[in-house]
Amino acid sequence: MTPSATPANAAEPGNRERRPPAIAATGICKSYATEVLRNVDLRIAPGTIHGLVGENGAGKSTLAKIMVGLEQSDAGSLSLAGAPYQPRSAAESLKAGVALCAQELSLIDDLSIADNLLLPTSSAQARIRRKAADERALQALALVGLAHASPATRVGRLSLAEKQLVELARALATGASLLVLDEPTSALTVPQSQRLHEVLREQANAGVAVIYISHRLGDVLDLCDQISVLRDGEVRLTRPSGELSEAALIREMAGVDADFEASERGPVAAMPVHLSVHDLRTAALPHPISFECRRGEILGIAGLAGSGRTELLRAIFGLDKRLGGAVRLDVGGTSVELKGTKQAIRCGVGLVAEDRASEGVFQDQGLAFNVTVAGLRRIANRTGRLIRSREASAVAGLVRELRVKSDGIHQPMRTLSGGNQQKAMLGRWLHCDAQLLLLDEPTRGVDVAAKLAIHEELVRLRDAGRSIVAVSSELDELASLCDRIIVLSNRKLVREFQRSELCQEDVLAAAFSEYA
Amino acid sequence: MTAKPTTRIVRVLEDNLIFLSLIGIVAFFGFASDRFLSLTTLSTLLNQLPALTVLAIGMTLVLISGAIDLSVGSVLALCAGVIGGCMTLFGMPLPLAACFGVLAGALAGFANGSLGAFLRLPIFIVTLGMLEVARGLAYIVTDSQTVYLGAKVQSFAVPISGIGVSASFLTALALVVAFEYSLQSTVFGRQIVAVGSNQRAAEVSGIDPKRVRCTVLVISGALAGLGGLMNASYLGSADPNAGVGMELSAIAAAVIGGTSLMGGRGSVVGAFIGVLIVSVLQIGLAQIGITEPTKRVITGAVIILAVILDRWRVG
Repeated sequence: MTPSATPANAAEPGNRERRPPAIAATGICKSYATEVLRNVDLRIAPGTIHGLVGENGAGKSTLAKIMVGLEQSDAGSLSLAGAPYQPRSAAESLKAGVALCAQELSLIDDLSIADNLLLPTSSAQARIRRKAADERALQALALVGLAHASPATRVGRLSLAEKQLVELARALATGASLLVLDEPTSALTVPQSQRLHEVLREQANAGVAVIYISHRLGDVLDLCDQISVLRDGEVRLTRPSGELSEAALIREMAGVDADFEASERGPVAAMPVHLSVHDLRTAALPHPISFECRRGEILGIAGLAGSGRTELLRAIFGLDKRLGGAVRLDVGGTSVELKGTKQAIRCGVGLVAEDRASEGVFQDQGLAFNVTVAGLRRIANRTGRLIRSREASAVAGLVRELRVKSDGIHQPMRTLSGGNQQKAMLGRWLHCDAQLLLLDEPTRGVDVAAKLAIHEELVRLRDAGRSIVAVSSELDELASLCDRIIVLSNRKLVREFQRSELCQEDVLAAAFSEYA
Repeated sequence: MTAKPTTRIVRVLEDNLIFLSLIGIVAFFGFASDRFLSLTTLSTLLNQLPALTVLAIGMTLVLISGAIDLSVGSVLALCAGVIGGCMTLFGMPLPLAACFGVLAGALAGFANGSLGAFLRLPIFIVTLGMLEVARGLAYIVTDSQTVYLGAKVQSFAVPISGIGVSASFLTALALVVAFEYSLQSTVFGRQIVAVGSNQRAAEVSGIDPKRVRCTVLVISGALAGLGGLMNASYLGSADPNAGVGMELSAIAAAVIGGTSLMGGRGSVVGAFIGVLIVSVLQIGLAQIGITEPTKRVITGAVIILAVILDRWRVG
C-alpha cells in the first residue's frame, strides 16, 4: 500500500510548498452541447485532501473524469508532480498513479471481490495467482473496514454501501499517488464514512493527494485541507477549510449575483387541483410523498442528483411499481386514480425523461415516428391503419408550433440537434394533447437559444391551461419558470416554496438538509 | 436542396442494393450456364420458395422487435406432422387439418413469447429449447415415420395451369405484401419498430414491449405452421426431418434483406429478396457444377458480404 511518492518527506508539512503539486490543472475547458468547464485552474499539493463542491452540473464530475483520462479536455493542460500529464484512458492514468473512485460504480457484479480488485492491474499479469490475490484483497478490505467480507464473495451479493467500500478499496489498492473520489460516501452510514475519512487521512499523511467530491458539506469541511467551489464550470474560490463555513459554501455555490426573474402569472390558488399525489411510496422513495399541482401551474421539483426527483416522476407516470399511496388526476371534472403508464397517457399525462438518448428518442427513426409514437391512434383509422396525410399534417403543425428545425418530417432523429430533439419530445405529448406534462430536466444538453425557446413554450402551455411538473438541477431555471417549488432531499420531500418566497440559498440549504 | 445528379444516382443505387445484387447474381448464372435462364429453372425456384418465404417473414418481424426465433424450422416440421396426423388418423379434409397445423404453430409461438416476455427468460435460449422440443414432438406425432399424404395435399403446391405458379407461392407472395404493409402502415407495425428501436423509450410512450414481442412470436409460430403446410404439400408427405436448419436460412434471408439483428430496422420485401438470393444461389451454383461443400462456403460468404454492404450503406 506504499504510494510511489516518498512518504517521509511528504508527511512534513513544511515540505509541501516546495514540491511540485501532485496535480495541477491549467486553463481546462470542456464543452458538450453546452460549456461544462471554463478555464479551470487547480493545484493540489501532495499529502493534502482537497474538497470539490458545487451544484449539480457545476462540472465536478467532468473535471474528475478529465483527470483520469475518461474524458479529454478541449483546451488547457494537466501536470502530474511537475511532469506533463495527458491521460487518454483510465489505464494510462492508473499507470501514472492516478486512481478514480467513481460516482457510478464500476465493479463487475459477476466477479468476486478479489477478482474485481485485480481488474485495474490484471493486464500486467498473464496469470492470476489466487493466493496472492486473496491476500491483497484481504488487506485492501481491512483498510476500508470490510475485514469480515471474504475475497471470494461475488460482488453482486453485496449491498450498495459495501460495493462502494469495495470500489474504494480497489482505488486504494492500486497504490496511486493521487486519489480522485467522486461522491464516495453517498450510500454509506455515518460510522462507515467516518471510517473512510480516517483511511483517507492516513493516506494523505503518507503523501497521497486526495480530491474529494461530495454533496455532504459537513464532511467536506471536517475532512479537507483545502476546498474549491465550482459554479457554472468555473472555480469560484479555493480556500483552506478552516476559513469556510457551510453557509459560506452554499452562498458561493448558489452565486450571490444570480437574481430570480419574476414570472408573470396570476394567482393559481383559485384553479382546481389537477394532480394530487397522496402518500406515494416506491422502493426508491421509502418516505411517503404528498403534494398537489393545480391546473395551469408550473410546479418545480428541486433537489440534488439522486434525491429521488426522477423516481418521483416515474412513480406518478406508473413506470415504477408503487408500494403505497395514490395518484389522482382530474380528468374533465372527475377524479381518476392513475394506475399504469398506458392509462396515464390516455388520461392526458406525458413524461419527458431526463436521459433523452435511452428513454426518449428513437434515434434510428424519423422525426414523424418520434412525434407520433405515443399517440398512434390519433393518426390511424379504426382498424389501426395509419393515415399518412393525417400524420404529415399533425407533425408539420407541431414542428411549426414548436419551431423544430428539420429537413422534412422524416429526417432521422439522430441528425437533429439536442434542442430540436427535446422540442420533438414535447411535441410527442402535445400530439397526444397531454394536459399534465412531467418534465425531467427539460433543457438538459440543449443550447442557450433552444433553452429559451423551450422556456417560452412551457409558459405558453401553462397559460393555455396545461399543468407542468418540472424537475431541474438548475435553480435559475426553476426560479424563472415555476409558480411553486418543492424540494426533495435524500428521498424525502422537505420543503415547499411559493414563488414570492423563493431564495436560491434557502432552496439549496433545503436540498442539502437531509444529508447531514 | 437539389442534389447533384451523380449523387442522386448513387443514392438510388444504394437504396436498391439488394435488388440490384439479385439481378447481378441472376445475370451471372445466365452467362455461366446456358440452362439457367429457362422456364424450368424459374418454376423449380418459385415452387421451392414458399416455406422459406413465410418463415423469413416471421423472422423479420421478430428481429425488428429486437427478439429472435430459433425454433421455426422445428415448428414447421411439427406442424407438418400435425397436419399429416389430422388427415390420416382423423380423416380431416385439408383445410381443417391446415387450421390445426397453423394453430399448433401459434401455440408454440405463444409458449416462446410468454416464457420470454413474461418470465423474462432470454428469448435466444427459450427458442433454442423450443427448437428441440418441437423437433421431438414432430417425431412423436409422426411416429418417426414420413407420413405419406399424396395428392390430397399436393394440390396446394402444384403449379396452376396457365399461371405457372402454385397456390402455395401466391399465398406466400400475398403474405409478403400484407406484412410489409402492416409493418409500414399500421399502428402495430410502428409498435414493433418502436420496441426494437428503443425498448425503454417505447415503454415511456405507453407501448408494452412484452405484449408486442409476445404477439410477434405468435405470428412467427403461426407462419411456421403455414410453412409446415407448404412443405408437406411440396413433398406430398409430412416429414419429421423437414426444415432442419431452416431457421438459419430464414435469419440469413432477413439479414441479407437489410434487417438488423439489433432490432428496430428491417423490411419484409427485403427479406423476400433475401430468400430469392439464397435460393438462386442454391440452384445456380448446382447448375454450374459446384459441389455441395463449396456451395455452403459461397452461401456463407454471401451472407457476410451482405452485412458488410448494409453497414456501409447505413453508415
